[in-house]
Amino acid sequence: MIDGILIGLGTALTPINILFVFTGCLIGTFIGMLPGLGPMSAIALMIPVAASLEPATGIILMAAVYYGAIFGGSTSSILINAPGVASTVATSFDGYPMAKQGKAGKALAIAAYSSFSGGVIAAIFLLLAAPFLAAVSLSFHSADYFALMVLGLTAVAAFAGKGDVLKALLMTVIGLMLSTVGTDQTQGVPRFTLGLIDLTDGISFLLLVMATFALSEALIAIMKPAADEKRQEEMEASSNLGSLRVSREEVREMAPVIGRSSILGFIIGVLPGAGATIASFLAYGTEQRIAGPVKGKLFGKGSIRGLSAPETANNAAATGSFVPLLTLGIPGSGTTAIMLGALIGYGIQPGPRLYIDQPDVFWSVIVSMWIGNIVLLILNLPLIPYIAKVLAIPSRFLLPLILFFSLIGVYFVSFNTFDIQLMVLFGLVAVMFRFLDFPMAPMILGFILGGMMEENLRRALLINNDSWSFIWQRPLTLAILLIAVCCLFAPMVWSRIQRMRRGADRAGEGG
Amino acid sequence: MLLSKDRIGGMLLLIFCVTYGFLSQNIILLPIQAKAAFTARTMPEVLMVLGIGLSLLVIIFPGSQERPQLAGFKWGTAALFLVLMSAYGLTIRPFGFLLSTSVFLMAGFAMLGERSAVKLLLVSVPLVLGFWVLMTQGLDVFIEPLPWFLKG
Repeated sequence: MIDGILIGLGTALTPINILFVFTGCLIGTFIGMLPGLGPMSAIALMIPVAASLEPATGIILMAAVYYGAIFGGSTSSILINAPGVASTVATSFDGYPMAKQGKAGKALAIAAYSSFSGGVIAAIFLLLAAPFLAAVSLSFHSADYFALMVLGLTAVAAFAGKGDVLKALLMTVIGLMLSTVGTDQTQGVPRFTLGLIDLTDGISFLLLVMATFALSEALIAIMKPAADEKRQEEMEASSNLGSLRVSREEVREMAPVIGRSSILGFIIGVLPGAGATIASFLAYGTEQRIAGPVKGKLFGKGSIRGLSAPETANNAAATGSFVPLLTLGIPGSGTTAIMLGALIGYGIQPGPRLYIDQPDVFWSVIVSMWIGNIVLLILNLPLIPYIAKVLAIPSRFLLPLILFFSLIGVYFVSFNTFDIQLMVLFGLVAVMFRFLDFPMAPMILGFILGGMMEENLRRALLINNDSWSFIWQRPLTLAILLIAVCCLFAPMVWSRIQRMRRGADRAGEGG
Repeated sequence: MLLSKDRIGGMLLLIFCVTYGFLSQNIILLPIQAKAAFTARTMPEVLMVLGIGLSLLVIIFPGSQERPQLAGFKWGTAALFLVLMSAYGLTIRPFGFLLSTSVFLMAGFAMLGERSAVKLLLVSVPLVLGFWVLMTQGLDVFIEPLPWFLKG
C-alpha cells in the first residue's frame, strides 16, 4: 500500500497534475455555484477537455471538478439559499440562516472545514477499503459481475423517493434500451440504427449526459421567469461576508459531528444507488436527534452542527462512491457513472484489474482527492468573496454560454454535426420528462452499465453451456441477486409497514 | 386524476417501448446463432418486456396525481432556442467556427433580453476568439475558423 501511495503521490504531484487539480477545483466551484448546474453537469462539461489529456491527469481533473462543484453548490446554498443540487439542500437549512445573521463568512468557513475533513477522512477509508475489495473481487466471475450490475441498477429503486420507485426502474430500463443502439459487439449486426450510418457506433454517452443534464437544465432555466433580480438582492444582502474565523469552542462542537458524519457519509456513498443527497439528509437528521432538546432546537436557525453534518457527509459520500467504481467497475451514482464513461473512453476498464494493471491511475485518483480537498481549503475559501461574484452574472449571458459549451463539448469529440442535432432532440425529450418528474440519473446509470451487463450475461451463458442455471450455481451470484430482489421490494414492504403502523396508531388513539 | 404527470410519462414511454419491441424484430440473426440461448435480440427482447411491464405499472399505479403545470413558462423562448441550436449545428461547418458561434451567442443573448448591440458584440466576439485560440493553440484541437467562401 505504501508503494501505491508513493506511486499516487509521484503521479498526482507532478506540476501539470497539480495545475489541473487547482484548475478543476476552481472551475468546479464556479459551475457548482450556478443554480441548476450540479457536479454531473460540471464533470460532463469537462470531459471533452479531459479527453485530450493523459488518463491520470484527465481523471484527476474530473475528480477535482467534482469536489469543486460540491463546494460551489454549498456556497450558493449558504449565500443565496439556492442549492445548485439536491445534495446541498440540507446545507441551506442552517447555512442560509447563519448568512442572514451576518455570519456568511463563518458559515462558509465551517462548510469548507467540514467538507475538507469529510473528504480527507473518507479518502483514508477509501485507501484502506479499495485494495481489499479489489483483491476480493478478483475472484469474481462473469455471472457475479452480471449479478452485481443487476444489484447496482435495482438499488436505484431502493433509494428513489416515495412514489418514484417504478419511475426510477422504468428510466433505468430506458437507459439500458438506449445502450443497445449501434452495432452488436458479438455478432457485428446493426441494432436500432434506423438505417443511419451515424448511429452504427451507438449513442455517445457524453452526448446523452450533456443533453439530459447541462442542456436540459439550461433550457429549463430559460423557460422559468427571470430570477435574476431576486438573486441580485440576495447577493447584496450577503455581500458582507463577515469574518471567516471559527472559534475554538466552535471547532470543539464540530469535531465529533465531523467524525460521525464522515463514517455515515462514506458508508452511504459506498452503497450503490445511494449518494451524497441521502447521506447529507441522514447526517442532518442523526445530529439533530443526538443534539438533545436544547441544541436540537437551534437546528434550522443557524446551528453549527446542522451545517457541519450535511457538509461532512456529502463530501464523504462523494469519496465513498468511488469505492464500487474503482474496485468493481460499477458506478454507485450518476456522477461516478459519468466518470466510468470517461474512463472507458480512455480505454481503461475500472474494476479489480485496474489496481494491478494501472496502479498509477488507481492511486493517483485517491491521492488527488486529498490534494483536491487541500486546494479547496487553501485556495477556494480565501477566494470565495470573489468567486461568489459569478452568482451576479446575468442569466441572459450565462445560459446561452452553457448551451454553447454543452454543444461544442460534444462536437469536439466526434466533429459530427449529426451529434448536435441528436443532442437537441434528446435535450427536448429530457426537458419534457423533467417536467413530468421522471428522474434522469437512473437512465444514465442504465445506459453506462447496459453494454457491460449484456457482455457479462452473454459470457456467463457461454461458460455455462447456454444454461441459465448460472444464476443459482454459485452461492455468490445467488446471494447478490437475492440482495437485488430485496432492494427491489424493500420500498414496497417498508411503505406497507409504515401504513400498518399509522393504522395501528390511529386505532390506538381512537380506542 | 386521469392525466397525471406519471400517467402521461408512462404512456409516452409505453409507446417508446412498444416501438423498440417492434424494431427489435428487425435485428438480423446469423443462421448459426438462431438456436443459441443468447443472440443479438435477447437483451432487447428482455428489455422490451420489462419496459412495457413497468410503463403499464406506472400508468395503473401512478406515484402522484399531480397534473403538469404548463402555465407561467416561456415555452416559445425554449422552442426558439432549440431551433437556434439546431441551426448552429447546420451552420458550424459551412460558416466556420468564428462566425457561426458569434452569431449563435449574439442571438442567444438577444433572445434573453440583451438589447445593446455593443454589449452583444463585446461579450460574444472576444469570447469566441479566445476560446478558439485556447482550443487550437492550448489543447491542439483544430476547428475550421473561417466560412467556406473565405477558405483558400
